[in-house]
Parts: sequence; structure tokens; C-alpha cells
Amino acid sequence: MSTLIKQEIFKLARKRSTWLSTIILVVLQVVLALIVNKYPDVLSIESIYMDGFLGLELIFFFMVAACSSIITMEFQYNTAKELFYRKYSRGQILISKWITLFLYSVYWFILTYVVTFGLKLIFFPHFDLTKNVGHGTTLVISQLQYVGSQFLSYWLILTLVLLLANLFKSSAVATSVGLIGYFLINIVSGLMVLLIEKWDWIKWNPLTMLMYPAQVQENTTKAITHLTINELFTGNVIYIVIFLGIGYVIYRKRTV
Amino acid sequence: MNNTLEIKHLEKNFGKKKILTDISFTVTKGHIVGLVGANGAGKTTIMKAILGLVGFSNGTITINGESVSLNKHQALSKVGALIENPGIYPYLTGWDHLRLFAEKNITKSMMTELVSALKMDKYIHQKAKGYSLGMKQKLGIALAFLNNPDFVILDEPMNGLDPQATFDLRQLITTKANEGTTFLISSHILGELEKLAKDLVIIDRGQIIKQTTTYELLSTGEKYFVLQTSDDDRAQQLLLDHNFNLKEDISILVPNIDNNSLANALKVLINNNIDVLDVQHKDNDLEVSLLELLQHGEEGVK
Repeated sequence: MSTLIKQEIFKLARKRSTWLSTIILVVLQVVLALIVNKYPDVLSIESIYMDGFLGLELIFFFMVAACSSIITMEFQYNTAKELFYRKYSRGQILISKWITLFLYSVYWFILTYVVTFGLKLIFFPHFDLTKNVGHGTTLVISQLQYVGSQFLSYWLILTLVLLLANLFKSSAVATSVGLIGYFLINIVSGLMVLLIEKWDWIKWNPLTMLMYPAQVQENTTKAITHLTINELFTGNVIYIVIFLGIGYVIYRKRTV
Repeated sequence: MNNTLEIKHLEKNFGKKKILTDISFTVTKGHIVGLVGANGAGKTTIMKAILGLVGFSNGTITINGESVSLNKHQALSKVGALIENPGIYPYLTGWDHLRLFAEKNITKSMMTELVSALKMDKYIHQKAKGYSLGMKQKLGIALAFLNNPDFVILDEPMNGLDPQATFDLRQLITTKANEGTTFLISSHILGELEKLAKDLVIIDRGQIIKQTTTYELLSTGEKYFVLQTSDDDRAQQLLLDHNFNLKEDISILVPNIDNNSLANALKVLINNNIDVLDVQHKDNDLEVSLLELLQHGEEGVK
């Protein structure tokens, strides 16, 4: 299995887009830090800092792209045969891809917040991370909770992207659904309130689960979701397991 | 264990359509076996089934005594393969491909040696997206040989190769076979296969119609003599008059039906004052023998 993970990381590291996206992320974070520094009245450092100088939004798109291509490229380049005929089972190959993507997402989160912290030290030395943000929580703790919930929530969409990429062998479909899912949550939250009010069981749908980070940040979101933080956490995990499980069954039967 | 590969009663359907019917054959250790048949006969499907790339409805496939299926691949640990077109990552160099798939025991010098054997030195460090069809094919072949496999499966390996590269590949296959590597090769270039394969498995419409040796198949074909004389027209007429069954040609072809046919033909010609200038012994080549066999199979079906 470690050989397969090394192979996946090797392929990822050899892609120009991996390094290009890293540069884009850092450059945009620096640019935003400069803007916030220059116009502190227009943009609040607190919210921008929480989102890692917009890095948190950006890395989602990079991860959707990686998830949609890691499976489909093997069919596009006709390399699936090279992978499948060797001694490893299809299940092992798929799990190695999941692990690689997990490590890749950890890389993005760490990079985003290391750069964010560096920018804070350079441009906002007086911005206090230990200040109380309410409910007896410091900003740094609140940020960790938010980033953690965002990480889980991203993975809910990413596992759906992986499943669709696997099912349709098409990056386009998978990427579209990933991005639509991301934007949809903001659009349909109003509609969701109505639906959940009428039929309570609808609260268990995956879109509600995507409101987990919002509820972690602002507990009033509970009025929309009708779910506790713990229920949202468990719901996210269950959906992730379901999407990965379906993908695993499909991939094991995949022929080339 | 003498057989590297054993296939027993292999069957495969696509929906209601039967793709493979009761395929059974063995590949002896250290042999080069040719898998031959027309396009769509089922050669690639058999190879894919051996490699666990596609499932099958019935039958068993074992490599060195260990069974192989869609999700059971342990027996493939010492197998190298090239199936259909080579799978190439365009953003990687040829060398990256070799590094990617090389097992721990494969050293840099072993990889360099393989690259040189296939004469890929000039472009191995270039990105594969710029490779020609032949260059990609050679990289695919290199990947099949990379981990010093005991058993190599090559599907149309000469596709896109120039004569020099075809010669180099033949040399490589022969060298490896002499070292004990077993080969299963399909090729529509029968002349090449004839030079390589000791054994043949002939399939037609998803069924094995013969498992034989190349020597045996060639010897079952027609043998004949081609004569050149001082007066070919008269010689031809004379032989026809003496009930010789001649083949069509400007030369006189005397079917080698028995040991005396040449001697008898020469007697007739010499007795009639015709000088014999040249005598050549001809056999059918693999292509002709195979076509005859497939034609008989078709007639049998009709």
C-alpha cells in the first residue's frame, strides 16, 4: 500500500498544476493581506484571518480539481491498465488514492494557515489571537474549531466528487457537482428553512450537513438545521463513509 | 511446475453475446507462445482476463499455480504486460514512468540498461506528451520488462515500431526467453511471430481452433518445388501431360506430395531434353498456413 501511495504522490508532485496552484494561493493571500493592511476599515482582519486570507475558499477548488482528476486521468490517459494489472487489488489502488488526497488536503490546510500566521506576524503584529470572541472562547480556539469543521465539510463534498468521477469517469461532471454543491448551500439555505419546517426529516440531507462550519461559527444556524453540532459532525462522517463505500464497490468492479 | 499459465474452460459473455467459449490452453515455462487470430477473435480479451483486467463468467486462470481474477492479483506480482496501446502520463518523462513503476530491487543501472536495449536513450528524459507512436510503444514495452518479470504478456508489441525497433525488440525477447522468461505474444505481423514463437494458440471467434507448435503448423502446410528450366512453357505442358498437379505460377511448381515427385519430374524433363536450371524447396509461411487453417474452420462452421 505504501508503494501505491508513493506512486500517487509522485504523480501529483510531477504535475505542474500542483506547484502553480501553490504559488497562486500564496500570492493571493499576500495580495489580500496587503489590501487589508491598507484599507482596514473596508475589510475586517478578523474574518479575513479566519478564512486564511481567502486561502480556505481557494484550496477547496484545488482539491475538487485533484479529486475529480485522480481517478478520471487514469482512464483518460489509458493508464488504468498499467495500475490494474499489477499485484495490487483495485480496492488497494482506490484507498491509496484516498489517502493521497487526504494528505494533499492536509498539505493545503497547513500551507494556508502557516502563510496566514506568517502574514499576521508581518502585517498585523498587534492583532490579538488570544482575544475573547464570545462564549469564553479565544479567537485562536474559535479558528481551530472553524477550520476543523470546514475540513470535514469539504471532505463531504470531495467524497461526492470522487464518487461521481468514479461513476461517470468524467472530471467535468465531478468538478461541476463539487462547485455547484459549494455554491448551492448559500443559495438553498432559505428554501431549506421552509422544507425543514414542513418535514423535519429533511434536515438529515447532505446539504444540511454542509452547514456544519456555519453552525460551529454561529450557533444561531441551528434554527435552520434543527441539528446539534454533534449531529452535524456525525452526519458528515456518515455521508463521507457512504460516498466512499459506494465508490469502493463501483471501483472494485471497474474493468478496462 | 512446468506450466507458467494454465487456462481451463474460460468463458466470457458481454450481455447475451458470447465473447470467449471454453478456452483452455497452457503456456510452458520459458516458452514463447504466440496467440493468433483475426481481429475481434478474442486475443486481447483473453490477455485482459489473464491480467485480471476483465472478469469472466466461467473457468479458471492460474499463473504458477495461483489463481487470478478481477480482484485477486497476487499471482501477477512477477508478470509484465503491454495491452493494446501503452498507458502514458503525458506530463511525465519516460524516465519518470520507469521510476514510478520500478520495484525496490530495480536499480538505476538496470533501468539504464533497459533503456539502451530499446534504444530510448535520446528521449527518455523528455516529457512523454511529445513522443511519437513508436516512442510510446517502446516505453510501454520497457514498462512491461521493467521489474524483471517471469512472465511477459505482449499484445501487438510491434505496433508502430520501425524495422530497427522491431529487430531490437525481437533480440530483447529472445535474450529474455533464453534466460527463462515466459512470453505470451499476440501479433498480426505473423512473419515476426514465426521468428519468435515456439508454440501457437490459434483462436477464431472466441474459440481455440488449434494449439500447436510453429514447426508443426508450418509442416502441415503445402510443400513444393519451384523449377526453372531452359523452356518453361514446354516443361509445364510435359509435366501436365504426365499427370503432375502443378501450382499456378510462371515457374513450374511441383507439389512435394511424395519423396519421388521431384525425381520423377526431373526424369520427364531430362528425357525430353529440357535443362533444369534451378530447383527451390518451398514451404507455406505462417501466414498462409494460418489462413488455410482459419478457412477450414470457417467452412466447418458453414
